[in-house]
Amino acid sequence: MQGQSGKSRGWALLTPALLWTLLFFMMPLLIMGTYSFWERAGMKLVRSASLANYEKFFDKTYFVGSLVNSIEVTVIVTVVSVLLAYPLAWILAERVPRRWQRMALILAILPFWTSYVVRSYSWLLVLSEGGIISNFLLDVGITADPVSFANNRGATVIGFVHFFVMLLTLTIYANLVQLPPSYRKAAADLGAGPVQSFVHIILPLTLPGIMVGAFLTFVLCIGDYITPQILGGNRELLLPQTMMLQISRRSDFPMASALAMILMLVISVVYIACARWLKLDRV
Amino acid sequence: MSILNKIRISGICCLTVFSAAAFSVTPVQAADELNALVWCDHTDPALIQPFEEKHGVRVNLKEYEGTGTALAIVEQSQPGDWDVFVIDGVDVPRVVDAGLLAELPANELPLDDVFEQVQMRDVTMRDGKMYAIMEKFGYNVVSYNKTKVDPADMRDLNTLWSDKYKGRIAVYDYYIPLMDLVALKMGMKPSDITADVLPKMKEALFQLKENSVMVGEVVSSTTALATGEADILIGGGEWAVAVMQSENPDLDWVLPDQGGILWSQSLAVFADSKRKDLALEFVKYVMSPEGQARLATSSCFWGMPANRKAGDVLTAEQKQALRWDEQATFLKNSHRYFIPDADLDAKMLDTWTEFLQH
Amino acid sequence: MTVRTDLTALLRQIPAVAYALLLYGFIFLPVLVLVTFSFQESRVPVPPFDGPSLQWYQAILEDRRLMSALANSIVVALVSSAVSVILGFLAAFALARFTLPGSKFFQGLLTAPLTVSYLIIAMGLLITFNEFGVPKSLLTIGIGHVVINLPLCFAILYSQMGEHQRNVEQAARDLGANEWQVMLLISVPMLWPALFASFFLSVTFSWDEFIIAFMVSKFDVTLPVEIWSMLRSGLNPKTNAIGSLVFLFSFVIVLFLDLVVFRNRKT
Repeated sequence: MQGQSGKSRGWALLTPALLWTLLFFMMPLLIMGTYSFWERAGMKLVRSASLANYEKFFDKTYFVGSLVNSIEVTVIVTVVSVLLAYPLAWILAERVPRRWQRMALILAILPFWTSYVVRSYSWLLVLSEGGIISNFLLDVGITADPVSFANNRGATVIGFVHFFVMLLTLTIYANLVQLPPSYRKAAADLGAGPVQSFVHIILPLTLPGIMVGAFLTFVLCIGDYITPQILGGNRELLLPQTMMLQISRRSDFPMASALAMILMLVISVVYIACARWLKLDRV
Repeated sequence: MSILNKIRISGICCLTVFSAAAFSVTPVQAADELNALVWCDHTDPALIQPFEEKHGVRVNLKEYEGTGTALAIVEQSQPGDWDVFVIDGVDVPRVVDAGLLAELPANELPLDDVFEQVQMRDVTMRDGKMYAIMEKFGYNVVSYNKTKVDPADMRDLNTLWSDKYKGRIAVYDYYIPLMDLVALKMGMKPSDITADVLPKMKEALFQLKENSVMVGEVVSSTTALATGEADILIGGGEWAVAVMQSENPDLDWVLPDQGGILWSQSLAVFADSKRKDLALEFVKYVMSPEGQARLATSSCFWGMPANRKAGDVLTAEQKQALRWDEQATFLKNSHRYFIPDADLDAKMLDTWTEFLQH
Repeated sequence: MTVRTDLTALLRQIPAVAYALLLYGFIFLPVLVLVTFSFQESRVPVPPFDGPSLQWYQAILEDRRLMSALANSIVVALVSSAVSVILGFLAAFALARFTLPGSKFFQGLLTAPLTVSYLIIAMGLLITFNEFGVPKSLLTIGIGHVVINLPLCFAILYSQMGEHQRNVEQAARDLGANEWQVMLLISVPMLWPALFASFFLSVTFSWDEFIIAFMVSKFDVTLPVEIWSMLRSGLNPKTNAIGSLVFLFSFVIVLFLDLVVFRNRKT
């Protein structure tokens, strides 16, 4: 089985996926990396290497500013989503009867089968002045005048958190149900209170689930264009919006590529920081 | 047994998947096809289908926003991929410069029926040859909700910079017409914009930003107006409110005393097109009174038809919504989009990006 | 058990129940709004609600572009997910069952796309297709969707290929099964839930993916891209109607899977 023929069979099985990844993932990244050193001049692409785009990045306050905004928004979204999702995952895993758990999970995922683009616009109808929340607050009498929650960073964060709470609930739930109940019982037998047992036993054991979900949240959130574009009202720009501006207004792919490279660098740093929780283990 | 059963289930699943794939991946090829790079108002079946049926062809439409995007798409295509091009009127010269457009037979097109101020021969003609024809136009001015603001105030751009409507203003996110409007507010003509005045324009834009509740492209800015998030849309016009006016008659638009900015879109045929005759037929169809009326009232956005004769086809209500009878005054008081050179364009976009980020 | 302990047990549940309801409310809020305003009478889907009317559902069924985008989305989602699952399964099988040199490296390589934003993948593909003059079509969208879903399928399947299954596979080999028979008759059925889960997840991701489909498409677009361009003309209850319709379909499919496929598995 582990002979020479077995090995070549293994290679044969691995090759298709490997080729796909090299051809349609690694190569595009390399080409994009090369592009980032080129320049756009008028209608032409100048194919000679220079650091001009990277210099421009640090030169213009709006480039650096949009990166800072992106990181801020993403960190806020990730933290808020984890804080909201953890209790929900806990309730689903511990308090909901086993036979209802799958249904409850499906129910949580279901809204995300509506189109993402339409969903973001629905948030606009909920949050804007004259929208659902504003009308509700008026009816209840909490406010005397219509209020708006749309077209600002808060709206962008709400739109993001909505999606990522679901994602994090799933990863944390998956982690929680794998914990043998005996752990908690053992902790209780040793005299640990619920808080102690949570802080010292449960939390460390569910950290992988949190980190996997949080990392996914970070990656998906920092690279998203739709949500800030629809809900943010252009009060501020996030990095993906600046990237799209380069493409749609100037078709400046080299500059957009340089921004993409910088974005990848940020993600890599976060990846390295989280790497020890992101191991791929087999059951 | 149960393993076999499961295999059968998975087999059926795979089979369904692949048969579904095989079934629909083969596209239905029409006898002839026309590939058009267009603005969204050209995707209305009411406009396209009559042409398709008459000529027995299929019109493939790719819509885009922003000339930059369109040029990127063209650059990334093979020569001959595209036949018809709908493009911002002011961008015609640079596309002609790039050698992308084919000459149009001026004598076969109703150029003389086009509103005089909209013909823009200096833009569409080069060395006596015609490369594009204007098909639709309108204004980037001020749209507002007349129950929420004083319509008289809307005639002066300066009110938008005062505290009176602070937090009630939405800004349309397109730097050329908006900076043109800022120029009018500052007492200049759009064509007076130079790199030297950009710092002052930036100041004015930053002030506007402080008064505004959002900056958005078509959907978010018109939504802001429709939901009451904003009461005023600067840069808006008939295109922003005409579609909604039947439902919400409170929405209106006005040309400020300082003047308005005239937008225009034009039709052209690609130099590399392999079906130039059919492409020309399409141009003729869109420029015909019937085609013009359908384009003017397209589901995506409304706008004035360039061809005066469309007036015979449009209904009285449609003309009313388009303010047909007031066009002479409007045209007299408006300025065309300013066309900066590449360098100034980059600087203006820089300023605009700083405005967005402010 | 006395009444009192029963009651305290119940009372202790209240915060949990309230919290769950609150979050479910948050999750469902935009969807309820979406569905409600799909029945709007006037053509602006903003409050106040003035329906109900079914006219927008009729309008989307008559919309040729929207319907073909819907069909495109289904094809792209199913085919790209099938390819992702198959390639992911083969690679997972290779790395879990054979001792190959550098297998840690290959694991890393195959899962690397998970750590890169869709926008970057989309731009990279766009630039690459342009460099090589690859015409954009449903195929290029599908290629992009396999890039994002393959690592997911691989990771799920690889993590589920445990040692106990290896023993069963070895037993089958000892009984004379060849490698293909082992894979198809032993490994696939044992991994059926994981295979199904990865396929289902892939379909979900492909179905809702916007930026890749937006960048590497030409005339044939998927539903999110068509909706995005529909929205260019301003809000319209049609977009709510198509969103609700898709929601309804997924609801029925999920319910069907839950009641038929999963219930059957238990018996």
